[in-house]
Amino acid sequence: MGYLRINNLVKTFNRTEVVKDLTLEISKGELISFLGPSGCGKTTTLNMIAGFLDVDGGRIEVDGQAVHLLPANKREMGMVFQNYALFPHMTVFDNIAYGLKLRKVSKVEAKKRVLEALDMVRLAGYEKRYPKELSGGQQQRVSLARALVIKPKVLLLDEPLSNLDAKLRQEMREEIVDIQKQVGITTIFVTHDQEEALAISDRIAVMYEGRIEQVDDPITIYNQPKTDFVSQFIGEVNKIQGVVVGGENGNESRVNFYGDEQLLPFQLRTNEKLDFFVRPEKIVITQKHEGEGFQSIVMKKMFLGAKTRYFLKVEDKDLIADIPNTALNPHSIIEGSKVQTFWQAEDILPSRNVR
Amino acid sequence: MELNTRVDNEIVLMQKKKNFKKRRDTWLLLIPTLAIFLFFFLLPLFFLFVTSFKTFDAGTGIGNQWTLANYIQFLSDPFYISVLWRTIKIGLITTIITIIISYPVAYQITKAKPRMKNYLTLLVLSPLLISMVIRCYGWVILLSNNGVINQTLMTTGLINEPAPLLYSEFSVIVGMVHVLFPYMVLSIMGALERIDPSIIRASKNLGASNLRTFVSIVLPLTLPGIFAGSVMVFSLSVSSFVTPSILGGPQVKVMSYITYEQVAVMMNWPYGGAIGFLLILVATITILIYSKVLSKSEKGVAIQ
Repeated sequence: MGYLRINNLVKTFNRTEVVKDLTLEISKGELISFLGPSGCGKTTTLNMIAGFLDVDGGRIEVDGQAVHLLPANKREMGMVFQNYALFPHMTVFDNIAYGLKLRKVSKVEAKKRVLEALDMVRLAGYEKRYPKELSGGQQQRVSLARALVIKPKVLLLDEPLSNLDAKLRQEMREEIVDIQKQVGITTIFVTHDQEEALAISDRIAVMYEGRIEQVDDPITIYNQPKTDFVSQFIGEVNKIQGVVVGGENGNESRVNFYGDEQLLPFQLRTNEKLDFFVRPEKIVITQKHEGEGFQSIVMKKMFLGAKTRYFLKVEDKDLIADIPNTALNPHSIIEGSKVQTFWQAEDILPSRNVR
Repeated sequence: MELNTRVDNEIVLMQKKKNFKKRRDTWLLLIPTLAIFLFFFLLPLFFLFVTSFKTFDAGTGIGNQWTLANYIQFLSDPFYISVLWRTIKIGLITTIITIIISYPVAYQITKAKPRMKNYLTLLVLSPLLISMVIRCYGWVILLSNNGVINQTLMTTGLINEPAPLLYSEFSVIVGMVHVLFPYMVLSIMGALERIDPSIIRASKNLGASNLRTFVSIVLPLTLPGIFAGSVMVFSLSVSSFVTPSILGGPQVKVMSYITYEQVAVMMNWPYGGAIGFLLILVATITILIYSKVLSKSEKGVAIQ
C-alpha cells in the first residue's frame, strides 16, 4: 500500500516528453532515491511532486489524497534545495520559524519546536546567526531543520549534498539518514551520485530519459540490474562479446568467450552474438596458464590501496579487473605478461538489448 | 639555515613589491576619474561654499566682507522656506510615485523571456533617449488649457472650463515621474534579479501564498534596490531645472529655479551659492532619514 503514489506522470517541455508515463509507489517512512544522469527527469519529477511544475498528465497521491492539482503552498511537503535556499535577511531562528508562523503556531510552541529542530541538526546556539555567517554544511542543516519543523508529509531532497566537499558530504549523508529514520518521514532523495544512492537508500529508482528503468533495493540494483542502462550506470562494468554455441537443457546455455566455453544459467538462442556484462571486481586472474578461462595480456596496472586495477587486453577487447591485494601480490605480475582470466557463471549477465 | 632565511627574506621582499605594484596600479586607474571629480566638482563646490559667506556687491557680484546674512535672509523669509518645502515635497512625491509604478514593471521585466526582456528594458529606457526639453513640450501639448486632455474632457461634457493642469505642482510631478522612473526600474530590476529563484520556491514550499512570499521575502530583499533608486530619483528631482521651468513656470518655483534667478538674473552669486548649499544640505539630510527608516523596517537588509 503506497503512501505516496505517482501514476502515469507526464511532463512535456517544448513538445519533448521529459517525464514519460512514470508510475511509482513509495511506502510510509521509506527513503527512496531518484538516481540518474543529468537530464533524466529526476528533478523535473521532484518539482512536480513539490508543486513547482504543473503536471501534464497522470496523478500524484499522498495518503490517499490527490495533490497534483494543489498549489505548492498547500501540499505540506518539506523541501531541501541544492543551494540551501535560506532566506538571507532572516536569522536561523526566523528561517526555521517561517513555516510555523504561516501555520499560526503559537509563539511559545514555535520557539520550542524551532529549538528542538536546531538540536536535532546539532546546531543549538546558532539561532541568532544569519545564513551568511554559516558554512555550507551548517546552512544545509538549517535548511533540513526548516523543512522538517513543519512536520511535512513527505521530505524532498534535491541533490542536497552536491555543493559540499567530499568529506562533509559523507558526514552529512549519514546524518540525513539518521534523522530520516528517527523522524520516520517518507523521503525522496534526488541525486546523480550512485555511491550516495547505494549508501543511504531503502530503494533506488534508476531513471533514464524520463523513465524509471528499475526500482529495487541497492543490493538488487547492483547485483541484478534489469536493464542494460542500469548495468552500465551503476558501478563499473566490462562489456564482453560472447557467442552462444548451444543450449544444454531448458534454462542453461553454453557461451564461447574468446575461445573458452562457459555454461551460463540463462536460456539464450543458439548461434547468437551477444553482449555480456561483468563487473571488474568479479574478474579473477591467475598466473597459471591452464584451466578454465582465457589468456589476456596485462597492459597496465594501477595500485589503489586495498586493491589493484589491471588493464587487460584480449584480442581487440579491453577489460578492467579489480583484484584485492590480499588475493594476488601486485608485485608478482609485470606489465606485458599473460594471465589466465575467468569469472564465475553467476557473475555475468547477458545484455537484454532493451533498446 | 642561513641560506633559508635569506631566501625567505627575498620572498617577503618580492611579495611586498608585488603588493605595492598592485596598489599603485589601482590608483593609476582611478586617477582620471578622481581628477575630474576633484577639479570640476569638489573645487567649484568649495568656492561656491566660500562665496555663500560673502556680501553682495552690485558691481562685481561678490563682495569682500564675510557674512552670514545670505543664510539668515533665506531662513527667515517664509517665501524662500515655502520654495524649499515645495522642492522637497515634489521630490518625495515623485519618488513615491516612481516606486509604485516601477515595481510592477521591474517585476514583469525580470520574469520575461530573455529576448522580451531586452525589448522591454529598451522601452523603459526610451524616455531617456529623447531630449528633456522636447519631452516637456510634449506634456505641455497634452496638459495645456486647449490641450488634448482638456479638449477631450470638455467635448464629452465632463467639465465646462479647462482644468488647470499645466503650470501646477501636478504637471511638474508628471514630468518628473516620466523622466526619472527608468532609474527606479533599473535599480529594482537589479535587486530582483539577485534573488535566487529557489528562495521563492522555498517560501511557497513552506506554505506561503504568492502575496505572503512577496511581502515576507521578495520585498525585503529588494529594499536595497528601492533605496538606491530612491536616492537617484530624489536627488535628480530636487535638483532638476528644465522640467519645473517648462511645466511649472513662474507659478511653481523650486530651489534650482530661484538659484538660477539669483545667479543669472540678479547676479547675486553669494545668495545663489547659499540657496544651492541649503538644497544640498536638506537633500542629504532627507536621504539620511530615509535610509534610517528603511533599515529600521528590515534589519537584515544591512547584512545582504
